[in-house]
Amino acid sequence: MNVSPQNLNKMLEQEIKDIWSNSSRTAKISIETNQLVEELNANVNSIQKKIRIRDVREITASIIGMLIFGYLLYEIPFPITKLACSFSIAWFAFVIYKSRKSKKQNSKTNLSLSMTEQLAHQEITMQQQANLLDSAAYWYALPSFITNLIFIIGLGNPTDYNWTNSIVNSMLPLSINFKIFTLIGLTFFYGFTIWINKRAANKEVKPLLENIKTIKKQLQKE
Amino acid sequence: MKNKLERTFEQILDKNKQKIYRICRIYAVAPIEPQDLFQEVVFQIWKSLESFKSKSSIDTWVYKITINVCLRSKLKLDKKNTKTERFESIHIVPIAQEIDASELEKFKYLKECISTLNHTETSLILLYLDDLPYKEIATITGLSDNHIAVKMKRIRKKLFECITPKLK
Repeated sequence: MNVSPQNLNKMLEQEIKDIWSNSSRTAKISIETNQLVEELNANVNSIQKKIRIRDVREITASIIGMLIFGYLLYEIPFPITKLACSFSIAWFAFVIYKSRKSKKQNSKTNLSLSMTEQLAHQEITMQQQANLLDSAAYWYALPSFITNLIFIIGLGNPTDYNWTNSIVNSMLPLSINFKIFTLIGLTFFYGFTIWINKRAANKEVKPLLENIKTIKKQLQKE
Repeated sequence: MKNKLERTFEQILDKNKQKIYRICRIYAVAPIEPQDLFQEVVFQIWKSLESFKSKSSIDTWVYKITINVCLRSKLKLDKKNTKTERFESIHIVPIAQEIDASELEKFKYLKECISTLNHTETSLILLYLDDLPYKEIATITGLSDNHIAVKMKRIRKKLFECITPKLK
C-alpha cells in the first residue's frame, strides 16, 4: 500500500509526539504539598532576609562614611577640605540612591509575561546594568577621586589655624610626602575600581545582552 | 486546613508536574539538573500565584513561567544559577527500568535532535509537542498565530530531517 508523503509526515509527527509524551513515564514525581508550601514560604522568607541584610550592610557602610566626613566637616578648620567633606557626604547619599534605584529596576522580574515581553524586559535590565558598570568611572570613581583630591589639597598646617586634635592629625596626610603617597594610592584604587567594573560589564553582562538580542532576532525572524 | 491558594497550587502541580518536568529535562544543562529547574519553576509558580490574573488560562500561565524560568537558566540570567538545596517535599524517582529500552532510545534521539535547534525553536517545538494549538503558543511566546505557523513549518522540517534516519 502506498502512503502519501503528507500522511507519512503526519505519522512521523504523531510518533514524535508520542515519544515526547511517553518521556514523562521515565520518572515518578510525588509532591507533598503541605510540606512544600512550608519549604517555599521558608525559601521566600530566607531570600527576603538576605536582601534586607545586604541592603542594610550597604546603607550602613555609606552612613558610616557620611558620619566620618560629617565629623571631619565639623572638626577640621581648613575651608577647602570642609568643602570636600560636604561633597563627600553628598556623594555617599548619591551612591545610596543610585544603588537602590538599580536594585529596584533589577528586582522587577515578572516571569508570567510572554517570552517576547520577558526578553524585552530582560534586555532593558541588562542594558541598564551594562551602562551602570560602564559608566562607573563617571558616577562612582571620578567624583569620589576629585572629592578626595580636593580634601587632600585643602589640608593645611594645623598650627596656622590653632587647631589641635592629635588623633585626626595623626590620620590625615598633612605632609607633602604623605599627600603624594596617598594620592598615588587613591589613583591606583580608583583605576582598579574602573577596571573591575568594565571587566564585569564586558565579561558578564554584555555577553548575556548579546544572547538576549540573538533570541529576540530569532523570534522575530519568520 | 488548606486555604484556597494552597488548594489551587496543589491542583496546578497535580495537573502540570509531568509537563513541567518534561520541559525541564530538555533545558537542564550541567551542573543544573532537571530537578533543580523543576524546583525553581515550582517556586516561581508559588511566588506568582497570588498575582495571577485570569487573562489567560492557568495552564498557559504555567507554560509561560516554565519556559521563562528554563530560558533564563539556559542563558545564565539567574545569578543563583548553581545547584540549589533540594526541597524534601519533592521526590523525583527515575523509573527507567520499567520502560521499554527502545522507547528510551527514541527519547534520546528526540533530545539529540531538539538540541540541534536554537533557543527559540526549542521553546516552540516543546510547546508544539505538547499538542498546544498555535493560538496558545502565540500567547505564551507573544508572537502572532501566523508567525508561529510559518516558524513551525520550518522547525518541523528540521526536526523530521534529523530524527527520521535515527528512527528507521
